[in-house]
Amino acid sequence: MNVSLIWWGLGIYIAVSVFIAFLSRTGKQTNMGAYFLGDRKMGGFVSALSYSATTYSAFMLVGLAGLTYRGGIGALGFELIYLMGVSLISFFGPRFWIVGKKYGYITPSEMIGDRYQSKAVAIAIAISNCLFLIPYSAVQLAGVGYLLQGVSNQQISFSSGVIIAVILAIIFAYIAGMRSVAWTDSLQSLFMIIGSTLVVLFLIHELGGFAGFFQQLETNHPEMLTVPGNGYFSFLTFIGLTIPWFFFSISNPQVSQRLFMPASLKSMRHMLLGFMIFGLIYTFVSIFWGYSAFLLEPGLDNPDLATPVVLSSSAIPPVLAVIVMVGIIAAAVSTIDSILLTLSSMFAKDVYGNIRKDTTDRVQLKIGKFIIPVIALLAYLFAELQLDLIAVLSVASSAGLIVVVPAIIGAFFWKRGTAAAVLASTIIPGTLVLILELLQAKPFGLASGLWGLILSTLLFIFVSLFTNAPTQKANEFIDYIKENLQNKK
Amino acid sequence: MKEKSLAIIIGIIVLAAFIIPFTLLKDVEKWYGSFLFWLILTLIVIACNTILTKDWGNEE
Repeated sequence: MNVSLIWWGLGIYIAVSVFIAFLSRTGKQTNMGAYFLGDRKMGGFVSALSYSATTYSAFMLVGLAGLTYRGGIGALGFELIYLMGVSLISFFGPRFWIVGKKYGYITPSEMIGDRYQSKAVAIAIAISNCLFLIPYSAVQLAGVGYLLQGVSNQQISFSSGVIIAVILAIIFAYIAGMRSVAWTDSLQSLFMIIGSTLVVLFLIHELGGFAGFFQQLETNHPEMLTVPGNGYFSFLTFIGLTIPWFFFSISNPQVSQRLFMPASLKSMRHMLLGFMIFGLIYTFVSIFWGYSAFLLEPGLDNPDLATPVVLSSSAIPPVLAVIVMVGIIAAAVSTIDSILLTLSSMFAKDVYGNIRKDTTDRVQLKIGKFIIPVIALLAYLFAELQLDLIAVLSVASSAGLIVVVPAIIGAFFWKRGTAAAVLASTIIPGTLVLILELLQAKPFGLASGLWGLILSTLLFIFVSLFTNAPTQKANEFIDYIKENLQNKK
Repeated sequence: MKEKSLAIIIGIIVLAAFIIPFTLLKDVEKWYGSFLFWLILTLIVIACNTILTKDWGNEE
């Protein structure tokens, strides 16, 4: 691909989104709620687009397309079951929102800590989230580096790509906190979906329309339309991949924190339904992209290269390829900036705020703003190091974050849950997930996330039964939700 | 109760999304096999969420 064309595409993307970031700067964000939660006044439309941009990273058009290339239709099932899991918002969303308003929670870990009446719980969850999400961000940054290096035929260096992505993420997160993230996310989500949809439609047209497209698959590669298909998606692999992602919407703080932000439940409804439609379209686009790569350039050893290879092949006009490339970079940056913001708020609120006594909201905000570039720098260094460990932690992120799920469900539905149980059910299974990922071990064929979830559920229940629950808080918390669920509807 | 019954329906759909493609549809090597099946299930789940959130109000 022509390098000057790439720079033009990048230049336009950067100019427009930085402009939008500055536009979003209205009002003064002088407290944590204003800066990190957009004052809890987010409208439905922006929330839906921003939720989409945050959830969908470079993984979709690179990783999911690669999975389709490698294993066929199972990739669609995996991603759509994740999308079905977002229904959890219909159940947990109003509950997060109601207690968020009542107690003024800024972060999900603060909520869990308060519900179980334990600072240690808030600190432990905040730190474990950082442990998994900083490497996850680093891999997104590295993804941008590899993509630009690949499509420019080594003319743009890996480091240049990483530096561009990290600077953009800092700018979007820093300028106006959640407001600039939400606005730039919205713009970036449009870059992601419009460009890639057009290009996929173009590719399908080139491959003989939908009828011709499917006919080629049905005749030449029928195994790509079934599971287990060519054997890649065995049932155990499929559930090992899918179950951790099913709980993504409540286990990943950069998205569960969004449940505190909508102005009303009606806005949350628009966020949820808007996201589901966006997700459905983007999933199909990514799957068709993977199939197109398979039909156009079969036989690649590394399926993750399918996207760069197709982008730089002659099958796609260069201008369209640049549009997709910008869409992938936007997907990565819009995920990283939200993670930066969420982790900074957790560090300020849950780690600093709990360790230092008598800190004010103002001081926490200062710390939070200070920590944004620090976390970005850490992610940058990890990306530059290109350590295998980072990749392991990143892959482990969905598995590692899933261990909090029993504690979250318990917070809303089980008054008997205890702080000791939360600590045991996050720290021990979290460590187990890390060890299994490091050893690449799958005892009895089950993936690390499944072991993490099973162990954390058992530990949460059993340790709760033998320790004292914060009964007063549990009653107040759950009863308040019950009363208000009826009123707010 | 609406919330409970829709939770059960969504639960059954998700179970079906795991099981049916690996059993009944495992030899249907056509676009109307697992591809269409997963699409339809997702559309039903989206419809369930539309019903679940129908009464969510404007109150801030």
